[in-house]
Amino acid sequence: MDNLVYLLPLFDLEVLWVIALGTFGGLIIGALPGLTATMGVALLIPLTFGMAPVMGLNMLIGIYIGGIYGGCVSAILLRTPGTPSSAATVLDGYPMAARGEAGRALGMATVASTIGGLFAAVVLATLAPQLAGVALKFGSAEYFALALFGLTIIASLSGDILKGVISGLLGILIACVGSDPITGGLRYTFGVSGFASGFAFTPALIGLFALSEVFTQMERFGQENKVTLKVAGRWPTRSDLRESRGALVRGSIIGTIIGIIPGTGSGTASWIAYNEARRSSKTPEKFGTGYAPGIAATESANNAVCAAALIPLLALGIPGDVVTAVLMGGLMIQGLAPGPMLYITNPDVVVGIFGGTFIATLFMFVFGMALIPVFSRILMIPRHILAVTIVVFCFIGSFAINLNQVDLYTMVGFGLLGWGMQKFGFSQAALCIALILGPMMEANLRRGLLQTHNDLMAFLSGPITLLFLGLAFLSMLLPLIARSRAGRGTSTPSQNG
Amino acid sequence: MRAVDPRRSDAFIGLGLLALCGFMAWQTSLIRSVGSGGAAGPTLVPWIMIAGTALLSLLMIVRALRRPAGPEENAPMMPSWGTLGRMTLFFLMLIGYAVAFSTLGYLGSTLIVFVAGLWLFGERRLLVLALVPLVVTGAVYLGFTRLLNVWLP
Repeated sequence: MDNLVYLLPLFDLEVLWVIALGTFGGLIIGALPGLTATMGVALLIPLTFGMAPVMGLNMLIGIYIGGIYGGCVSAILLRTPGTPSSAATVLDGYPMAARGEAGRALGMATVASTIGGLFAAVVLATLAPQLAGVALKFGSAEYFALALFGLTIIASLSGDILKGVISGLLGILIACVGSDPITGGLRYTFGVSGFASGFAFTPALIGLFALSEVFTQMERFGQENKVTLKVAGRWPTRSDLRESRGALVRGSIIGTIIGIIPGTGSGTASWIAYNEARRSSKTPEKFGTGYAPGIAATESANNAVCAAALIPLLALGIPGDVVTAVLMGGLMIQGLAPGPMLYITNPDVVVGIFGGTFIATLFMFVFGMALIPVFSRILMIPRHILAVTIVVFCFIGSFAINLNQVDLYTMVGFGLLGWGMQKFGFSQAALCIALILGPMMEANLRRGLLQTHNDLMAFLSGPITLLFLGLAFLSMLLPLIARSRAGRGTSTPSQNG
Repeated sequence: MRAVDPRRSDAFIGLGLLALCGFMAWQTSLIRSVGSGGAAGPTLVPWIMIAGTALLSLLMIVRALRRPAGPEENAPMMPSWGTLGRMTLFFLMLIGYAVAFSTLGYLGSTLIVFVAGLWLFGERRLLVLALVPLVVTGAVYLGFTRLLNVWLP
């Protein structure tokens, strides 16, 4: 109960305004095809530098929640998901809109996203502190095993496991640039003083997820579908809500569970929720024809992932998906280390994030419902003007943190790298998470070896270490077995939110 | 857009990664391990990563060479030569922007880059090329410097 006092700053008008702005911005970014929530968060992290931690982090969470929800807009109106997490929404959203009921489809998506988001926010506030309590007992060996698990699960979830693992290994190698975490000696700086502290994390993220998208926009410019459907109405009918009850509950639960598992994402959750809703429905033949429970299942699941993915981030210091990996950058520029110690050192921030998740979800509902009549106009924003504006934001964001010109080169370099990786099937998500978890894994491995006089067996003792190492092994092995059984490679949904 | 043979692209990328591993191995051999105590020195993790990347790159090359020829569903799509040329110019413009951002200042460099960027995207309407950069650059400048107190050069 003492912690409730930390909720008070959230009701400051300035904080509410910033959360509302973040949610609104995220919604617009998510609605535009090609612009993802990941990109929105990466691009706007630098803006939070001068803000109080609770204000800045909740703005980013607002972008995340708004961005994932916004993906449904173009999925329904353009038949093109705004974000990968809304790909399954196309199946029932577009046919409903094509019947002239776009408002009803968008309304259903908004209600479902709100229910899923609020459900997961309750689980976040309940479960994360318990999990952090357990994680406080972790030592070097446990943290090493945890980081290894986080890395393997991301790599294994990439469309091509081999390329996913290579991306992860390269990410760790890139993270080695700069001063060594144990001795402080310099590695791979090539005499450039700007690299002494390694590649700056935020410019690297901005390049990897925002600038790379500008290259993609340039490549695809002139090819996108500009025909949007007219929007009439706003609310789902009573029968829609009655028929969707089961799908909403199952979607919220599935989204929450998937969100808690590190490495999975809202794309995976919405497909599983959709299949589960159809499997358990008395009228499965209606799915795919513009049926409200189809929209309810996918949208409740993908928005439940948002809050649930914060659980491993806040409790263990391991991102739940690629957007929360980028959000880690937001915590880091505030000088905060995500993980169980955050509950002891900064309980105000943790409780503020719990409360901010609720508030951002409510703002998402208000903006979503209010904007339904004008969504088709938002989709008409000229894409090339937006792309060049994003470039300007990339440069300001990368420069503003350290006022260092080297960060601009870093950002441009990572932008090109991100575009190339996307083009040839390498996982940007795996590289990004390796950049974060690599230093944590290295420091704990070497610290553990130093403490045990190079006894590797110390990393194979203890139930928690063995559990995480076993999970890491399984996460690599199971997809390989599944794919060899299928006889050919199959691709999983992209991890980019 | 034109499809690229994934066997060729994977083999070339694998070779590139092997070359990178060779370069990184040379650089790693130059790192001095002072006072780090036995195996847990500053080169431990880099060596593991280099060895792992080299091994997997070899696997990728072998996989590419053993893959049957023919059209593939998930073949990478490359832009046309014209688009690729524009993208190269765009990339060079970004490098120039990085140099000019501090030396020329935000306003001057951004105005030039905005016009050039729109032009490379195919915008030819004079009014758009003149007005949009002016409005967006100015609005962003005021927003960052006045509202968010971010210093811009």
